[in-house]
Amino acid sequence: MGKVKIKRKSTLIDMTAMSDVTVLLLTFFMLTSTFLQKEPVTVITPSSVSEIKVPTANVVNVLVSPKGQIFLSVSGDADADNAEQWGSEPLRKEVLKTAAANYEKYTGKKLGITAMDIEKFAKNASFGVPLEKMHEFLSLDQTKQDEWLGNPDRADVGIPLKDINYVDQNGTPLATNEFQIWMRAIYSSSNPNIHDAIQKGEGIAVKADRGTKFETIHPVLDNLQTIKMNKFSVMTALKTEAD
Amino acid sequence: MAQIEQSDGGKKKKGAQKKMAIHVDFTPMVDMNMLLITFFMLCTTMIKSQTLSIALPTNEKLQQEELQKAKESEAITLILDTTYDERGAIKDNTVYYYAGKPETEFNGQDLVSSNIQVAHFEGNDGAILKGIRKILHDRNQDVLDKVEEQKDRWRRKEITEDQFQAEAKKIRNDEKLTRPVVIIKPMEGASWESVIAALDEMQINQISRYQIGSLTDTDKAMVFATPDFKKAHGNEQK
Repeated sequence: MGKVKIKRKSTLIDMTAMSDVTVLLLTFFMLTSTFLQKEPVTVITPSSVSEIKVPTANVVNVLVSPKGQIFLSVSGDADADNAEQWGSEPLRKEVLKTAAANYEKYTGKKLGITAMDIEKFAKNASFGVPLEKMHEFLSLDQTKQDEWLGNPDRADVGIPLKDINYVDQNGTPLATNEFQIWMRAIYSSSNPNIHDAIQKGEGIAVKADRGTKFETIHPVLDNLQTIKMNKFSVMTALKTEAD
Repeated sequence: MAQIEQSDGGKKKKGAQKKMAIHVDFTPMVDMNMLLITFFMLCTTMIKSQTLSIALPTNEKLQQEELQKAKESEAITLILDTTYDERGAIKDNTVYYYAGKPETEFNGQDLVSSNIQVAHFEGNDGAILKGIRKILHDRNQDVLDKVEEQKDRWRRKEITEDQFQAEAKKIRNDEKLTRPVVIIKPMEGASWESVIAALDEMQINQISRYQIGSLTDTDKAMVFATPDFKKAHGNEQK
């Protein structure tokens, strides 16, 4: 009986094919997906058959949390040519300045928002604290800000809808609120595209959780109607007609 | 594959080393790619949200009153209500509806009968329409038939999609056709989902005239008296 000679085999596995596959997958994911937007609260939008895509430029997102807190996020023109002028950051700076000025005018209070605050504000995608607390909020670092917005016990989260009473030049008593001040500031910004988008009803997107009660969202819609921004869109997920 | 055959150009030199294969180990490359894939899968989303555009009437009192006067024969009122389970998740969305004016019959304090009816958002099963969709569909038959005609032309490639959309819009707003006016009245407990579902039905059924209104006392009394409402909310009140 002859000895069976066991051939020594190399244990090296060729990883090239594997590498090819992973690179392909990676390319696919990079090209097809968009980054998750950081939002103060996560909501599941209701579904609808509407197939209109959410615009990414010149849009105000109004996020209503299940507790009725309002968060706004503003995006300016994505066009690179005039990003200096109408891009998201200059727009946000302008909006904060206008809103703060109007708030000071109506209430007579000083907000003390510094140039530093404005710079920091422009970097944040979404905001949702009362204007009175804006300076305090912006002077915190990112983690502290997230803690603030995520704290369920805090009452000063979200843009308040509390009436601000003031008297105009003619002496007529009027009422507004911070949400209206913000929306008007965005509408009247020097970027004409966002102005047009709001008029067409594409510039405002209301986002709320499917389980949120209508009485929670109604004040927001009501305020939008009051300031004559009665054309807007609501964020939905896609479904088929049969469902 | 991941090896390079070293050839010596055919010439055999004296003392030349034997052919060597250079193996490149791709394992770390794969590791890194896998990590990147994981990162992209976790931090990005494939779903792009859709939007549903709505136009509400302005808040001015005058206009509201005018809308209230909309032909009563064409009006249909949908009252939305939602029941939730113990954890606060939506159990069911219910639609109470009546056509025209509310008709009520009282026996002292108790509402004996009314023209309110109950339906659900059921969608359709193939060509069979169910629930509230059927009711709205039947009321907007004129418009839907005409839109369908245009859609057929589009399918036969006689007109382009843009032309079809323009035609459909014209039909939806045609004064001569009998078109319903839908008033959506969400109850306090109605979920956002039910409101969107109702607005969605307007789109599906090509209804151009609708508004979101608030409940009147009669509406409430009518809904509270329905056996469905009592059944759905009986446990909560106890």
